[in-house]
Amino acid sequence: MIRQAIYIACAFLLIWSCRRNPGVSPGPQPYQLELPPDFPEPVYDISQNPLTVEGIALGRRLFYDPRLSRDSTISCGFCHQQFAAFAHFDHPLSHGIDNRTGIRSVPGLFNLIWQKDFMWDGGVNHLEIQPLTPITDPDEMGEDLAVLISRLNADAKYRSMFKAAFGEGEINSQRLFRALTQFMVTMNSFHSKYDSVKRQAPGVAFTYEEEQGYQVFQQKCASCHKEPLFTDGSFRNNGLPYNAALNDAGRMRITNNTGDYLKFKVPSLRNIMKSPPYMHDGRFYDIFNVFDHYSEGIEQTPTIDPLVQNGIPLTEDEKRHLYFFLSTLTDPGFINNKSLSEILIED
Amino acid sequence: MKPLYFLTACLFLFAACRKDTVEQGTMELEFRNVAGNQPLTLNTATYQNAEGENFTISAFKYYLSNFSLVKMDNSEVKLPAAYFLVDQANEASRVIKLAAPKGEYRAVKFLVGVDSTRNVSGAQTGALDVVHGMFWSWNSGYIMAKLEGYSPASTAPENRLTFHIGGFRKENSAIQEVLLTAPISLTVESGRLPQLMIDADALAWFNQPFPIKFATTSTIHVPGEDAAKIAANYRNMFRITSVTDL
Repeated sequence: MIRQAIYIACAFLLIWSCRRNPGVSPGPQPYQLELPPDFPEPVYDISQNPLTVEGIALGRRLFYDPRLSRDSTISCGFCHQQFAAFAHFDHPLSHGIDNRTGIRSVPGLFNLIWQKDFMWDGGVNHLEIQPLTPITDPDEMGEDLAVLISRLNADAKYRSMFKAAFGEGEINSQRLFRALTQFMVTMNSFHSKYDSVKRQAPGVAFTYEEEQGYQVFQQKCASCHKEPLFTDGSFRNNGLPYNAALNDAGRMRITNNTGDYLKFKVPSLRNIMKSPPYMHDGRFYDIFNVFDHYSEGIEQTPTIDPLVQNGIPLTEDEKRHLYFFLSTLTDPGFINNKSLSEILIED
Repeated sequence: MKPLYFLTACLFLFAACRKDTVEQGTMELEFRNVAGNQPLTLNTATYQNAEGENFTISAFKYYLSNFSLVKMDNSEVKLPAAYFLVDQANEASRVIKLAAPKGEYRAVKFLVGVDSTRNVSGAQTGALDVVHGMFWSWNSGYIMAKLEGYSPASTAPENRLTFHIGGFRKENSAIQEVLLTAPISLTVESGRLPQLMIDADALAWFNQPFPIKFATTSTIHVPGEDAAKIAANYRNMFRITSVTDL
């Protein structure tokens, strides 16, 4: 009888000691990211920064909060506009605080987890530390990182949001960057008409012009603007006439290698019809200017890419067809995705 | 008797599940920044490089990482990943406590700088937090070591000296490995605190094997050949000045 009582007591003790700690809250809610079946493996290792509903919400708030800039006027979303696929519509060069202007155009933000290097010259090597550049650059948001971190720590709303996303502890730059990254990780564009055609979605087909344009694209553009990302991620001199006013050495600024003079990252062509102006310095406002450049406007410099060295001749019909094909790369679901849209920050 | 068997069995089980732990101890490294024979003083003291050019130092900091200890049989014990930023302006940063397995050691080995992996691994914390201003935002990578100051010989604006030394790629890498052998052995075990006092001589930055003339070189803030030369110089700045094995 006594022995039975001991066994029962032991069993209870075991159950009691294995119970969940009631003092600990369940923690942030995991977020399942939808990835396209026909893309390569992402470059960014999401397991190092597990996505959560709270982390993404915090990243979105930070992205649209102008208080990340020195004078509280410029948010990330100020230059990265959703309707322009997170590029800066109609602005050739980036804008910053105090009416300052940068030397390059604002790149669109999407499919960043497949990107190896960032910026037009590839100077930034990791998605998480990419936000450091615009936040601290005097021509962009111009803020001192330490000042920003202490401002965030002094803000009750941010304190509670960071705690909800990352648990107890001070807000530090790693948490700031990882929250912004979680939001950026959700900015993916792979639901264009082109994608539907490729995935043989029922009832979707290219029109005659689109199909013709796709063939021109495959023959004349696809080796640099490689499918399905529409960039091979390389740095190339595409023969743009040198702009003395900007005097931008491009990739050479990063590598110190004269062989990289005037080379810039090959941009993706996804959503291109939504994100003019074009090129690293936004010199072309119309996509037909771009066609004309490749067809007739190549400037010969020592580092010119062999693929464009002799120009890429395009007939008027081919240009028109390309225009129709490139329009199929617009992803309305992405441009209008409510979970990426600007939020008004009032507290 | 049965319950006793049960109890004994339990005890064995517990013993079996106990984690096998090597006894850990601590070794302490204290870095004393100097300029030649004098303790380093920021801003107020004037120093001279080998070329006879006068200068002052307003900032002096460097990363130390990837520590190993060398045993008496010359085998190396790699210590757990740890990163330290020694900053002349921050007294506490000069003392580094290394957790190490019990043993007798004759030397310490470390990197001046941050290994290439951490230069490409995204947002970090602690000493590697980019908030310390030791990271290039426009060209990702850590500034491994930084010396700033003024020299009348400098042709830069306000006669500034700016030596931001970095670069983690194979070509022109600024990552330097240093091995310091102690004059006596150091024993790490619980209840002891062996200490190494190490001088770091700022003048060594401009000395050998690549003497630097401020009139021609006063600003380095990109990875490259010049940065690698300074790194090759400051690799020689460390010297053990005293050892306490208690």
